[in-house]
Amino acid sequence: MSSIALEGVVKRFGDFTALQEMDLTIRDGEFMALLGPSGCGKSTTMNVIAGMEDPSEGRVRFGERDVTDVPMSRRGVGFVFQNYAIFTHMSVRANLAYGPRMHGASRSEVDRRVTEMARFLDLEDILDRPSAGLSVNILQRIAIGRSAILEPAIFLLDEPLSNVDAAFRAVMRRELKALQRKFEQTMVYVTHDQLEAMTMADRIAVMDHGVLHQVGTPLEVYNAPANLFVAQFLGSPGMNLLPGRLDGEAVELEGGGRIALTGAEARAAAGAPGCDVVYGFRPEEARLSAEGLTRPVEVIERIGARTILHLSGGTKAVFGNDVEAAERAPVTLAPAPGTASLFDAASGARLGA
Amino acid sequence: MTDTPLPAANPAATARTALRDAKDAGATGPGTRLGTWLTLPAQLLIVFVAVFPLLMQLYLSFTDWTPLAGRPWTQAHELFIGFWNYQDVFEDARFWAALWRTLLIVGVAVPVEFALGLGLAMLFAGGFRGQRVLYSIMLIPMMIVPAVAGYMFFLLFQSDGPVNGLLSTLTGRDVAIRWLTDPDLAVISVMLADVWQWTPLMFLILLAGLLGVPQDQLKAATLLGAGPWQRFRTIVLPKIKTIILIALAIRVIEIFKIFDTLFIMTAGGPGVATETISVFFYKIMTLELAWSYVAAAGLLVLVGLSVIAGVAMAFMPKPGKRT
Repeated sequence: MSSIALEGVVKRFGDFTALQEMDLTIRDGEFMALLGPSGCGKSTTMNVIAGMEDPSEGRVRFGERDVTDVPMSRRGVGFVFQNYAIFTHMSVRANLAYGPRMHGASRSEVDRRVTEMARFLDLEDILDRPSAGLSVNILQRIAIGRSAILEPAIFLLDEPLSNVDAAFRAVMRRELKALQRKFEQTMVYVTHDQLEAMTMADRIAVMDHGVLHQVGTPLEVYNAPANLFVAQFLGSPGMNLLPGRLDGEAVELEGGGRIALTGAEARAAAGAPGCDVVYGFRPEEARLSAEGLTRPVEVIERIGARTILHLSGGTKAVFGNDVEAAERAPVTLAPAPGTASLFDAASGARLGA
Repeated sequence: MTDTPLPAANPAATARTALRDAKDAGATGPGTRLGTWLTLPAQLLIVFVAVFPLLMQLYLSFTDWTPLAGRPWTQAHELFIGFWNYQDVFEDARFWAALWRTLLIVGVAVPVEFALGLGLAMLFAGGFRGQRVLYSIMLIPMMIVPAVAGYMFFLLFQSDGPVNGLLSTLTGRDVAIRWLTDPDLAVISVMLADVWQWTPLMFLILLAGLLGVPQDQLKAATLLGAGPWQRFRTIVLPKIKTIILIALAIRVIEIFKIFDTLFIMTAGGPGVATETISVFFYKIMTLELAWSYVAAAGLLVLVGLSVIAGVAMAFMPKPGKRT
């Protein structure tokens, strides 16, 4: 069991800065997802933790121990690669036994641990099969078991589900989450898929362009994004972001419309009267209303369970299938009270955070 | 370059799939017989090309025919002598000496070429500055015509040649090593020339193998605590095993037939000190005109080489089986 701390970690590749002043603490036994679009630095973060890359600046700590200068072969982290990196020329048994053998465990000790791990992961029946050509969920279990057999305190997973088709991903997500509960290790999970991050992680770290934007529980980052990037990136469709100006306890929207502020929004607005802001609300929180944002409907998209209205100007609203709307006819929307977010138009940061 | 439209990139894949489908169907379905008939002409041609010279050789080996026998080789059966040629071969000390000498050259040069080639390949697979220039230079020996390489080494290894000249300069004494005229040194000189010329081939094949070793599996092994030697033994070696076998088989078979470079350097001499099996055959055929005798000896060598190739093949994965 071990916590992980990145302290002021910077990683540069030549002139390119992959990580900028990263401070991140991952608690003991926590499932942390590193989430962001490709090239955001999440894999670099993972590699720095594993010791595959040395940070240009800053320290890496496991618990109290500074591991910055410890080579990857002695850091003792479990690592599951994107394609699992199973040793395809070996049997399942040899794959599982690899770690203990490299650590000089005796033959009987290796056998005992392999048997135990195989029973744990339900791999007993295929122990002596060649590992090439097995199905993806078995490969995933072998990859996890091969690392877990060394009982690492820290487990790193690099987009392990990105090679799996969508239908199967749900199965794998459940399996992975169940495995984490069994092992109770500190897990760091890199993904660009917000659904994976939201469903599995205890906390999510949202990254972009080498910058850590927000760390919080899935609902925190979803409901109260720290800035415009997080607001846009999370959710499908993403948050509606409307430029406007604060006017007392309401926002005067650019292009017409006025939405009253309540609760936390109003308190946030009180701190910055007359300020240029971006008003954000989730498409799912939109309600038909007497006052608010009035725009013609451009497209009505029925996706089965829901109906999505696309308004001119790019605003989206998600309703039940019984919504009364017609294409080209205007509707007036306002979010449910207390669900909106206000961002400073200049800095992009959340107001009242 | 213009963008290749997607469909144009696909026919190869489609053809492969079709081929595989056809093969699958052929294995069980009614396509089997049709397939046999369709490929029969090509198969017959291959059999003819590959087997005819062999049959000709076998035919001559049971006769006492020579080009001076006064009749075309097709009538050689009139000079039928049974197994005498084979008996002669078994009793010919010069043949066995040439065979053992050839095996000695194989036994020394191939391991040296392999060790050097593997070392260089590992160096290049790791990557270093100036690698691309060095890579091109490394491959030059392999592209030199062997006869020319033979002349070069013939000149280099003269008693008053550049090799001795360099050694003299380095040691400050007058070095006059008889590289090509001392019976033992001549064999070593021939080996050196072969190592010089053919290490690059070994290097090239092994480098291709090393570059095919999946990097993430190496990283995974490192994370599981494997050191460099353990990674090499447990991951790299098993992955390039087939390629190593191919490289070794190619070189063993090639050196076994060594002729051109060696013949120009020493002509098999001094005496018979560097007479390999090929040089022996050449001399018997051109000087003694004993063609049928060479046919018999050649067949025996062919059987020997086939056994070596068979052993190597036994270690290789069968076509179609995934590794």
